[in-house]
Amino acid sequence: MQPRPIGLKILDVVTIIVLAISAYLALFFAPTEKVMGEVQRVFYFHIGTAWVGLLGFVIAAIAGIAYLVSKNMLWDRFEVAAVEVSTVFFFITIVLGSIWARPAWNTWWTWDPRLTTAAITELIYIAYFMLRQGIEEPEKRARFGAVYTLLGGISAPITFMVIRLFRTIHPVVIGSANGTQEKMSMSGDMKIAFFFALFAFTVIFVDMIWHRLRLSALEEKVESLKLNASM
Amino acid sequence: MFLLLEEAPDTFGYMILGYAFFSVVMIAYVASMYVRNRNLKRDLETLESIQAEEAKPTKRQ
Amino acid sequence: MNKSTPSLWKATFAIVRKDLAAEFRSFELVSAMLVFSLLVIIIFNFALELDIKVREAANAGILWTTFAFAGTLGLNRSMSVEKDRGCMDGLLLAPVDRSAIYFGKALSNLAFMFIVEAIVIPMYSMLYNVNLFRIDLLVVILLGSIGYAAVGTLLAAMSVQTRMREVLLPILLFPVAIPVLLAAVKCSSGLLAGDPFSDILTPFNLLLVYDIIFIAIAFMTFDFVVEE
Repeated sequence: MQPRPIGLKILDVVTIIVLAISAYLALFFAPTEKVMGEVQRVFYFHIGTAWVGLLGFVIAAIAGIAYLVSKNMLWDRFEVAAVEVSTVFFFITIVLGSIWARPAWNTWWTWDPRLTTAAITELIYIAYFMLRQGIEEPEKRARFGAVYTLLGGISAPITFMVIRLFRTIHPVVIGSANGTQEKMSMSGDMKIAFFFALFAFTVIFVDMIWHRLRLSALEEKVESLKLNASM
Repeated sequence: MFLLLEEAPDTFGYMILGYAFFSVVMIAYVASMYVRNRNLKRDLETLESIQAEEAKPTKRQ
Repeated sequence: MNKSTPSLWKATFAIVRKDLAAEFRSFELVSAMLVFSLLVIIIFNFALELDIKVREAANAGILWTTFAFAGTLGLNRSMSVEKDRGCMDGLLLAPVDRSAIYFGKALSNLAFMFIVEAIVIPMYSMLYNVNLFRIDLLVVILLGSIGYAAVGTLLAAMSVQTRMREVLLPILLFPVAIPVLLAAVKCSSGLLAGDPFSDILTPFNLLLVYDIIFIAIAFMTFDFVVEE
């Protein structure tokens, strides 16, 4: 394996710096929210991880289609990297949301459309890894993985639309807390922390994808050597 | 409910919990990538040395 | 495509006929699905303490859970039979369009689900004293089963080729099939509660949309799932 390219080294340093700045902005710079208190500071990282989580799942579905069309293993590596990194980030999103919900709604969990859809999406991508684990041939693994990310990527938005029909009792809870109400009460400093978190997590996401791509390349090399050795 | 309160509720503990959780998961994930990378490199070295040995005309018994 | 190649419809129905003929010889699969369905209904009866009030709200949910579980059983079986006896290779070698194999398997899976539903629905009506024989409800059941079988056939073709085989199908299928099941439950419970059709129009439309989208995707991607 080649040593880390200079671009990745720089990106690693930048990632750590932007994460530190984003944490500083979220924890100290942004004013304490009056209604929620300190826990509202979790919101910046919640949004940041949610954004890259969803971005990764979209990228994965696109990479899946690209793989099926081109049969180029590079797309498969992209798909795995995007799904894996996003699954980790999305897990953080769900738990951070839950931690925020406990003092806000007095419960860790509600079966609200967003929460439920997030949980189901996470399960789809966990199933994705179980599917891949059960297949030995790399080429078949890539094909099946691509088909499944495609199915998952399309069913998730429909799930959201369907569940919204069930939970008409409290659609405002999340909508007002994260959307209109929060936006109205979000001061200038809060906006800075908010947008910087989005930017910071995008950088972190790219950095992690890059590392994961290199890991996949290494995996492929070892796998092909093993196949050669066993023949 | 909270709108009625004059002062912000004390939710400092939850904030710490949130960021602690974030740090733990991120560190765990980066560590898992590092460990996987190290193991793969070790596998690669082993496989390459096996191949190099097989390439030699006289095999070690 | 040359002239000796049978048309898509001919090939599809040949596969359906093959599956049905094999099934009608022994009724292995349908009887297993049926007994399983009844067991699920009995377990629900005691697990949920179904008195008259709870039951009215839960009927639709119980029905669809039963259909989904029994459907998984059928999907797994019909695909693993093809795989184990090497029939899949034969089908793939046959000079027919691959999509004919998909449609054939999906239709025969659907047929098995229909047979089970045709027995479960009157039984359920009798056991719980509700009338499920309503044309609008049957249309919803038809649409829900179509969506479920469309995705299920594709995923079953995938899961039989993995190491975990049958165990994997529900894990792959349920999260992706949640929209069709929930939309079907929403429609059915609305109809059973006597709501006017305009009230259930949104879930009904979502059911249709899901069916169309997922039949199209499964049709387009099935090639990638069976190719060797």
